[in-house]
Amino acid sequence: MAASLEEKIINHIREAAGGGLIEAYKQREKRVFARIKPEAFREAVKSIRERYKTLRFITISAVDNGLDMEYLYHFHIDSVVLTLKVTKPKEDNSLESISDIIPAANLIEREISDLFGVKLLGHPQPEHGLVLTKDWPDDKRPLRKPFEGALPPQARPVAEALISSGCVAPISSFIQRKREEAGLPKSPAFTFTDENAMREFHGIVKDVGLAEKAGFDWEKKRLRYK
Amino acid sequence: MVKYALFLGCQIPMRLPSIEIASRRVFKTLGLEAIDLLGYSCCPEPVVSRLLDETAALATSARNLTLAEDLGLDMLTLCNGCYETLAEANEILKHDAEKRSRVNEILKHYGREYLGKADVKHIIEVLHEDIGLEKIREHVAKPLKINVALHYGCHLYREYKGSDIMRKPNMMREIVMQTGVNIVDYGLERLCCGYPSMQADEEFSLKHRLLPKLSRMRSKGAEAILTICPACTIQFEIGQVMLRPHGFQFNMPCINLMELLALSFGAPPSDLHLELHRSPVQQLINKVLGVR
Repeated sequence: MAASLEEKIINHIREAAGGGLIEAYKQREKRVFARIKPEAFREAVKSIRERYKTLRFITISAVDNGLDMEYLYHFHIDSVVLTLKVTKPKEDNSLESISDIIPAANLIEREISDLFGVKLLGHPQPEHGLVLTKDWPDDKRPLRKPFEGALPPQARPVAEALISSGCVAPISSFIQRKREEAGLPKSPAFTFTDENAMREFHGIVKDVGLAEKAGFDWEKKRLRYK
Repeated sequence: MVKYALFLGCQIPMRLPSIEIASRRVFKTLGLEAIDLLGYSCCPEPVVSRLLDETAALATSARNLTLAEDLGLDMLTLCNGCYETLAEANEILKHDAEKRSRVNEILKHYGREYLGKADVKHIIEVLHEDIGLEKIREHVAKPLKINVALHYGCHLYREYKGSDIMRKPNMMREIVMQTGVNIVDYGLERLCCGYPSMQADEEFSLKHRLLPKLSRMRSKGAEAILTICPACTIQFEIGQVMLRPHGFQFNMPCINLMELLALSFGAPPSDLHLELHRSPVQQLINKVLGVR
């Protein structure tokens, strides 16, 4: 049986994005979604632009998820609507323009930049002032949310300690000394005292997406927000 | 010999090691073999972990339970919170095939499988059912003549195999009675100490939970508060300090049941490191025992 247009588009995105593709799927008839890593995104757009001559750019939706910005690029290819999703951490706070590949993206990119306060890279008019006045303050963008994850402030230290060490009550050197004086090991046989146990615990935390949901930064070993 | 896999949790070894020291002495005296779980993690703390993801919370509990299964032993907890988290996870995983399968799918990457072979028991149940009141009474060498107000802790009322929520609190009361202390009834035993609400609303926790309990305990003549849960111990001790700026002075010692047992069995107070308490436990015990 011949491949449907949706399948052909998915296959092409797989090829174009290569290792930069996170997922691509047909949600329903005439509707295709693909999630792509930021570093592979422009090349994927270029490739689709070249492959599908009837490609029509619809718009970009921007969503502020608190810790990350999600950009959804909507295209129309013949009868199929394709949405390419890219997620960027708000610490980075930049958006690479595709207006050199898709000129019609020019205005919506500026609008997103104005409303969310993200910096446009490679755009012919990166400065704000399309929908906001030129003197609009940088720190008061109308659609930008505070840099916060799912956890309320009181729960953050507990989540940080739990994910980083497997234990919610970090041990002090005073208590370690007292334990030794009493003939106990300096620390109980916690995950953090055993490399394999720690690796296993962190593996489970990663597998279930707990760290991602909490907004935990593995390199810095702390939450991305305080 | 009674033998269990010991789940120490976070708060006791890290913040209240005098309870661990006392517990190990009590185990030895009563012939209870407690095998430490190697590489265990937090039970996990239920509020935050469930707020984020139920599967993550269950998988973390299941991993801890498999450590006990590996030893072929039931699990013993000293903390009410750990008891509730682990016993509840155990019940869910035993009876919900879909959740068990989801959790085992995660654990299998680490060579683990939750089989549901280990039971989770609170120290109160083990002391009452496995050791027995008579044996406890036999070992009491130094009955402490003090008036204590019991605080059981909310999670001690949790029951997974029956509906008698007073089963474990009554057990605790009977155990305490063997030591010779005088139990002071104050009528607010079931009121929460305020520990869980501390994070959400400090003033509510202190003034509407802790304060009424402390006031009633004192008015009924209690010299000390007796707890079994480390979180409640922290609340009673730190909470009294936090109430001072609001004009409320109590200075009531808060002692854990395992410490009371160790002292009653004749352990020298200095061996238990009671100085680690943030309430005047050491001062009270020294006074009662005539230690200078």
